[in-house]
Amino acid sequence: MYKTAMLAKDLVAASSKPLVLSILADGESYGYEIIQKVRELSGGHIEWSDGMLYPVLHRLERDGLIESEWKEADTGRERKYYFLSSDGRKALKTERQQWLAVHNTLSRLWKIKPISI
Amino acid sequence: MAGRSQHPEPIMENQTHFDLNAAIENWRQELAGQLNLASDDRRELETHLLDTVAELQRRGLNDEESFWLARRRVGQPQQLDEEFVKADPGKVWRERVFWMWMAVFLSSTLSRLTSPIMFAFVPVNTSTATEVASITLLLLASLIPIIIAVSLAMGKWVALFSKLTQMVGNRRHLAVAVFLCVALSSSTQMVARAILNSRHNIHNSTLILQGLTSTIHPLIIAFLLVWLMPVQKQKTSKRA
Repeated sequence: MYKTAMLAKDLVAASSKPLVLSILADGESYGYEIIQKVRELSGGHIEWSDGMLYPVLHRLERDGLIESEWKEADTGRERKYYFLSSDGRKALKTERQQWLAVHNTLSRLWKIKPISI
Repeated sequence: MAGRSQHPEPIMENQTHFDLNAAIENWRQELAGQLNLASDDRRELETHLLDTVAELQRRGLNDEESFWLARRRVGQPQQLDEEFVKADPGKVWRERVFWMWMAVFLSSTLSRLTSPIMFAFVPVNTSTATEVASITLLLLASLIPIIIAVSLAMGKWVALFSKLTQMVGNRRHLAVAVFLCVALSSSTQMVARAILNSRHNIHNSTLILQGLTSTIHPLIIAFLLVWLMPVQKQKTSKRA
């Protein structure tokens, strides 16, 4: 079952916050679509189990970083859409700096060109 | 391990007709049995399941295959339950407390509507009979919240409650309904008291005071209900 190319469990958990915030920074979205986007963008390396995303979303909502609303989709069914709050935007900025700091440290160690923060 | 019958999920034979709607309904019931999932959570998971089923169908899977695969992707109800409670332990309790207060409110409204009839319109000389009747009524009325609390804690009628929560939906609607109930039951009491007072030659000035004091209690519960209501379209206020 275990594939070396897949992200370790704790890394999946840690990266879920910046990933969700970044996706919602591009516009509102719902759980199913968020999972699809992550799968697509990571080239299949990050595979979130479907039911586990919602607790993450609800925690972010409780922290005031995202907000939610039930809205009718074009299919006629209602979906719970999430969008970024102003606090979420600030939190994303911090997350970005921290993740890039980690990225750059590793890059220098691995002799890859760092990215300007 | 004979490798022949090693299907993790029961796969039905092709001859038996697979009813997608019934399967989804079953799944809904199973999810409703999980104690820590609030109705809003279940609704969200259901839309996710339906989205997954729809996508798998588009990819050419039949109803049955789509359902079982979608079901497995969404996750085991019990596992979901554990994850959700970690994210917001208080949520499901807020909903439960709301329904318990709702039961208290309904039973008090009911007794406020019916007891005046007994006191006011039953002849005075059969006082022991009215006593017994009112005590029975009180006991029955107080049973309602207890029954609801126990059934919710046991995970019964959860589907019904989530449907009711969806119906209530809007905080403003709830507020209007609840305060109408208070107004109706209070006015019934006032009329009954007026009749009773005229019979006993009690001055009507005490009537207004009595009416006001008996309205305070249901009013408090009404406010509590509006405040506790599990909102579906929640927009969290921005707090640092």
